[in-house]
Amino acid sequence: MSVTHEEVLKIARLAELDVDEEALPLLAEQMSRILEYVAQINALPASEGMKPFVPGPDALRFRADEVKPWPLAFGPDKLAPAFKDGFFLVPKLGPFEEPEA
Amino acid sequence: MAAAAGGRWETVIGLETHVQLRTASKMFCGCSAAFGASPNTNVCPVCMGLPGALPVPNEQALKHAVRAALALGCAVHPRSIFARKNYFYPDLPKGYQISQFELPLATNGSLSYLSPDRGIATATIVRLHVEEDAGKSLHDRFPRETAIDLNRCGVPLIEIVTGPDFRSPQEARAYLQTLKQVLEYAGVSDCDMEKGSLRVDANVSVRRPGASALGTKTEVKNINSFAYVEKALTVERDRQIAVLEGGGVVEQQTLLYDAKTNAVRPQRAKEESHDYRYFPDPDLPPLVLSEPFIAEQQAQLPELPAKKRERFVAQYALSVNDATVLTADRAVADYYEAVVHAAADFKAAANWVMTEVLGDAKDHQGQLRVPPESLAHLIALVQGGTLSHQAAKRVFTEVAERGGEPRTVAEALGLTQVADRGMVAGWVSEVLGAYTTEVTRYKDGERKLLQFFVGQVMKRSGGKADPKLTQRVLEEKLAP
Amino acid sequence: MSDSSEALASAKAAADRIVKTKRLNACITPLKELRKSLDQQARAAHPSGVLYGMPVAVKDNICTLEFTTSCGSRILEGYRSPYDATAIAKLKAAGALIAGKTNCDEFAMGSSTEHSAYGRAVHPFEKTRVPGGSSGGSAALVAAGAVPAALGSETGGSVRQPASFCGVVGIKPTYGRVSRYGLVAFGSSLDQIGVLGRSVHDAARVLSVISGRDPKDSTCEDRDSLRLPTVPESLQGFVIGVLKEYFPPDLDPAVRRACERAIRLLKELGAAVRDVSLPHTPYAVATYYIIAPAEASSNLARFDGARYGPRFDGALDVRTLYKKTRGEGFGPEVRRRILVGTYVLSSGYYDAYYRKAQQMRALIAQDFRNAFDRGVDLLFTPTTPTSAFKAGEKVGDPIAMYLSDIFTVTANLAGLPAMSIPIGRIKGLPIGGQFIGQAFLEDEMIEAAYALERVVPAAEEA
Repeated sequence: MSVTHEEVLKIARLAELDVDEEALPLLAEQMSRILEYVAQINALPASEGMKPFVPGPDALRFRADEVKPWPLAFGPDKLAPAFKDGFFLVPKLGPFEEPEA
Repeated sequence: MAAAAGGRWETVIGLETHVQLRTASKMFCGCSAAFGASPNTNVCPVCMGLPGALPVPNEQALKHAVRAALALGCAVHPRSIFARKNYFYPDLPKGYQISQFELPLATNGSLSYLSPDRGIATATIVRLHVEEDAGKSLHDRFPRETAIDLNRCGVPLIEIVTGPDFRSPQEARAYLQTLKQVLEYAGVSDCDMEKGSLRVDANVSVRRPGASALGTKTEVKNINSFAYVEKALTVERDRQIAVLEGGGVVEQQTLLYDAKTNAVRPQRAKEESHDYRYFPDPDLPPLVLSEPFIAEQQAQLPELPAKKRERFVAQYALSVNDATVLTADRAVADYYEAVVHAAADFKAAANWVMTEVLGDAKDHQGQLRVPPESLAHLIALVQGGTLSHQAAKRVFTEVAERGGEPRTVAEALGLTQVADRGMVAGWVSEVLGAYTTEVTRYKDGERKLLQFFVGQVMKRSGGKADPKLTQRVLEEKLAP
Repeated sequence: MSDSSEALASAKAAADRIVKTKRLNACITPLKELRKSLDQQARAAHPSGVLYGMPVAVKDNICTLEFTTSCGSRILEGYRSPYDATAIAKLKAAGALIAGKTNCDEFAMGSSTEHSAYGRAVHPFEKTRVPGGSSGGSAALVAAGAVPAALGSETGGSVRQPASFCGVVGIKPTYGRVSRYGLVAFGSSLDQIGVLGRSVHDAARVLSVISGRDPKDSTCEDRDSLRLPTVPESLQGFVIGVLKEYFPPDLDPAVRRACERAIRLLKELGAAVRDVSLPHTPYAVATYYIIAPAEASSNLARFDGARYGPRFDGALDVRTLYKKTRGEGFGPEVRRRILVGTYVLSSGYYDAYYRKAQQMRALIAQDFRNAFDRGVDLLFTPTTPTSAFKAGEKVGDPIAMYLSDIFTVTANLAGLPAMSIPIGRIKGLPIGGQFIGQAFLEDEMIEAAYALERVVPAAEEA
């Protein structure tokens, strides 16, 4: 189960990670080995498939609709690397245009 | 209309509507969900997506979502799952949106609406699910940077998806207006496209009439008003038809509507379609709704618009048109019934509400300023002859502006009519005595002079004579 | 002597001891800042708290108002959290002192604390060896005697494995026992804050304080905090299962000897010992290495340089900002796991990998339930297949590194409580033995650990 260089680049794009040309072959090889290793769970025959298991409570608890934000010791202006007039700043969108959703 | 473009194309439209729910706090945190605050002041670790923060769902939002689903005739699933929709965008702090995917809150609903093309039509509601809103990106505020405001991030939304049910841009708009009405009735949202509490994305395709397969669809976004819904869909439909008639192929893509130029343009340069890698959110156990929870929302559903309209026609002997106007807005419908309940005549009340009340409301942010009992009282004064219709309108305006009890206000303004027979007879005699030539002409056959005499009596009485009574007295006195 | 001066003395002593561990690169808080903060905290500490004056170090991936929270990564270099994790708030309410942040593998991804952007942490006994990971810094600091306890976190064994390597106690609670609010998420359905301690008692009492309900975490169970058991006279009535699949034929003979010695002692204490099989164990590491990276790829998407953390300059547009920040800010192990995680969630692969792994997880959890349903109270196994390995030995081979988690990941997958206590030495290096308990029955597990701790010759060669 080999992962091609194209696939690595495609996945990297989805994950917003730069992969430089030099690192690509080793990365593709490592990913292939990892994915080959984990693919052994396919030894599990389809008939043995069970409902997925996730630990934790069986059902969600609800929160009352009250304006009571969790504590914040200081505001976004102190967190942000770039902040002006009350807004977070990022460089202009370029290849992005309008929102996804 | 597609018919004009050669009559050879059928338009197929599906709509995805995002509706903000009316809650005090956000979907997954206790920040205020209120609109209009200074940027980045309604934020906390959760909605800012700070490391280590976790979501906790808002009960009221879930109640609203269930009620909306029930109002749209959906099957509400007692068990549904929140899922992460993964993508990168500056106003999406976690790099994913908490939404629902494989197991949504509700499916299989429908909404009937009045199509301008084919009468009553039914849209299928394929699904309704709960999710959180993203923040806002402002591209024009600074020259070289985009400004991000996370106040809106985390506000509760429901997404309502129809099937490919609409056959024209006009139908799509009609459905949306009905959807807005139903959701307002259910009290779940104020559905204000201007404020962004109702947003629409459309899927558009065309095909040959009679074809069973659907054509390639495009997605149209950035539609910011009901009027633009019609315009944007028309523009895109026409564009697709032009492409196909020119021998080309419609490309599947996302387009943005530009209201200024009334055109659509592709959202992005050629890019793979998004892989959102949905998976159940491990921070949120399954959403399990008990039967009593769902039943309570069913019980809280008000009488919905269609039913109310039918009832108004039957109960108040109103025309379908009048009933439609009166039930368009739940507050107005409730107001009308309060007026009628205070013993006003059905038809008169309907007229007054549709004209004076709605007219006044339009100029005053939708407020229904005259208390229903006062309006009922006013109507009674007109029907009893104490006020002319004109005078009553003046009293209405006065009461709307400065309050007060209608009779008192009318008297203070000197508008009460004189319905005293004796006084009216006196004025009539005066007029007939002053215009003997006209009396002769009347008796010779010029019946239309009656109105002249009525006018003169009104003048002499300073406008106070009851015109109907005046007319009767005149007719008696002028009888041969 | 006033109450405050007791805490002040404790604070000063802790700072002095931590200074002496500098070469371990275990505590990554600058020492001057640490001293000043400890002094301030001591003045404000609640004198009636059950942990009053106790210095507790905290792994760098747990949010604290004091010090930075950088998760061993460049991408959060200098980041100051504007809130305390719930576990931290509970420690403070109990009068404890937050004694600095400890080094860890970047975003808790690793088994050696070699993947930290702030340099590797060093084994307290042998400087060429690793202290384990990802909570290596916390384990080393406790083992060096600098603090009696430290918070760590577990996703696949990151508290127990370093506990075994460093010769200290490490406890992972049942999933949902301790709030995750403020624990920087790696694998959300696996993560739990755990405790390293110099003794079972130290670790357990810290765990008790940080456990319990939290309205800020939807996955935290609505339960009271853990009740501490007393040290038992004997283990009469306990049925302890020995897991067949955790004693494979090729298990290191010294590890086997140490475990067999411990099992003998458990029998002498009165416990009944039985053989148990968990047949799906061979698939555990593979299952883990699908689920954890998948969840991580999503959890780490928020790190893009836009709202907090350092800004990597020179980006002309936001897309470049993201790629540069994440490309330069994340180390190679994190990048690898994000890519694997993204892959196994991607369209076309989700069913074969992620969905399948969640089903396999159900089978693993069922294996445990079956064992416990047959009358077994606790399970006993080796914690790690070897003692601490040498630095650099496994860094180049991801799968070799993953396999050092082979005995620990099952408890995370099944959401069960588990703990490691030192049971011997192998050529002078510590080795741990592991208890795995039933969900929310940490007290039984701790009882057995108390009893074994008293009699096991942890400093003796196996």
